[in-house]
Amino acid sequence: MRNVAIIGVGYTPVFVSKRKDVNIVEMISEAVDAAFRNTNLTPEDIDSITFGNMQTFEGLNLPHLWASEHIRALDKPTIRISTGGTTGMSTLQAAYYQVASGLHDVVMAVTWEKQSEGDSQVGLTGIVMPEAMVMIQHGMDLFGGRGMAGMGGGSTGAASYQAMSYLHHSGASPEHIDKMAALERTNASKNPYAHLRKVTTVEDIQATPFISWPLRYGHTCPTSDGATVAIVASEEKAKKLADQVAWITGVASCTSDPTTANLIEGQLTDSAEQQPARIASEKAFAMAGIKNPKKEIDMAELYNGFAHQSLMWLEKLGLCKEGEAHKMLDKGALDIEGELPTNASGGVFSTNAIGASAMNRPAECALQIMRKIEGEHQIPKKVRNALAHGWGGLFQYVTVVILSDEPRKAK
Amino acid sequence: MAFEMGPETRQVQGTWDVTTYRYKIEGKGMKLLCDAMKEKKIRGIRCNECRTVYVPGPTFCRKCHIDIDEVVEVKDTGEVGTFAVLMADMRGNPVDTERVSAQIKLDGADTWLGGTIEGIDWHDVKIGMRVKAVWADNPEGKLSDIDHFEPA
Repeated sequence: MRNVAIIGVGYTPVFVSKRKDVNIVEMISEAVDAAFRNTNLTPEDIDSITFGNMQTFEGLNLPHLWASEHIRALDKPTIRISTGGTTGMSTLQAAYYQVASGLHDVVMAVTWEKQSEGDSQVGLTGIVMPEAMVMIQHGMDLFGGRGMAGMGGGSTGAASYQAMSYLHHSGASPEHIDKMAALERTNASKNPYAHLRKVTTVEDIQATPFISWPLRYGHTCPTSDGATVAIVASEEKAKKLADQVAWITGVASCTSDPTTANLIEGQLTDSAEQQPARIASEKAFAMAGIKNPKKEIDMAELYNGFAHQSLMWLEKLGLCKEGEAHKMLDKGALDIEGELPTNASGGVFSTNAIGASAMNRPAECALQIMRKIEGEHQIPKKVRNALAHGWGGLFQYVTVVILSDEPRKAK
Repeated sequence: MAFEMGPETRQVQGTWDVTTYRYKIEGKGMKLLCDAMKEKKIRGIRCNECRTVYVPGPTFCRKCHIDIDEVVEVKDTGEVGTFAVLMADMRGNPVDTERVSAQIKLDGADTWLGGTIEGIDWHDVKIGMRVKAVWADNPEGKLSDIDHFEPA
């Protein structure tokens, strides 16, 4: 298997709630242009394109083919990837496979979402449409929430179950969620490509109303318009094409049974268990030659639609012991200047163009390693190994990418 | 940053009617459960390999990947696996009365099911708390036949 590096990243100029000035493909092309600008490459240098966004969120079935000219895909292979919240990272992993296998030398991964043009609740309902229809026909009260299997509250309702279970088993308090939320929003204020960019205090978070205890409005992510592109290359090409690169040294993904919404056949697993995070991270660490992740991982970019998840993932991904993440938060270890900077970008929690959300994690890790961060959130210490994490599906699919400052050693 | 958005473009409306889809659903386990609920009972399916009890019951064991069909009755009492307290409606507006929504592991079952807990201040609800079902007076064979749960 060949070594593969990220040689450049392109973002849309902004991530905001509504881009009213451009249509979907015009917005995507902004990130593609930025990636070419940042790498000094031209479309002729690209062998193949992978393309990812959420299914049904904008009601588009073949966006990669509508966008073929805008992503400079004419005369090239193009494949669309759609794996839920993990889409962005799956799209990068697909590009990685094409290069690592020797099939292609330079591949561009294009990820995006323009949520203002779609309906996220319709998109989410579409995940479980047949099951939901059956439950409604059998007397489930979808909106009122009475009776067995009564639901209410959409994604935040299910996330609240997870947050409650996490708090119970970890010993963290609801105030730790407030504190993590304030830290990440303040990090986002330093990131020009973040959506919610306001310096935020714990008191600001605590002033927001509860949606579903223990989660407040201030614990939830925005919906964003934006796109992110990464260009990956083989070791030989990377050395020719770029001065600074970040090596993809570990990739893994893992699923479990659906931990929410397995409505008609009984739910088996606590959505706060997240076994796939443990399995995927162990595989990715082994592939990257990382023996002690607690010491060797210098930073983490985690997929957190909700603020409690950053703490939960640190534990589930093996970056600290179970029940210790909130103690690390309390002693400042998760700050940009801390020993394990966590979501220095502000995370998904501050910027959520869903199809791009799990791409922004490795993209940020790569830029941190290359020391090419624009804005004020460059991690001061040298980053040798970074962990990027994606999450989604029916609360049950996890992707991990390890990025490093040196290529994997041949075994 | 210097970037400024350009002028707003036109917006056109589009719809996609999801009610036109036709889904095929096995639904044996759901029928088993709903038929039992008419008698104020709860039935699921057990795997005779790993002994996992599913409510509602699937036709195959999701752990052993074998066909299963052994009907078992589980109790209408159980334990709170996790819970949330709904304080806003689907549109985000605050509700007048907080509602405790829980995932409950019924005694004899290995799966969790959703339900509402009443008869307790939401501040006092705990994971691991014992609860029992409160049935509708005239069950009709619907999921709504268990009206809610209350502390046992």
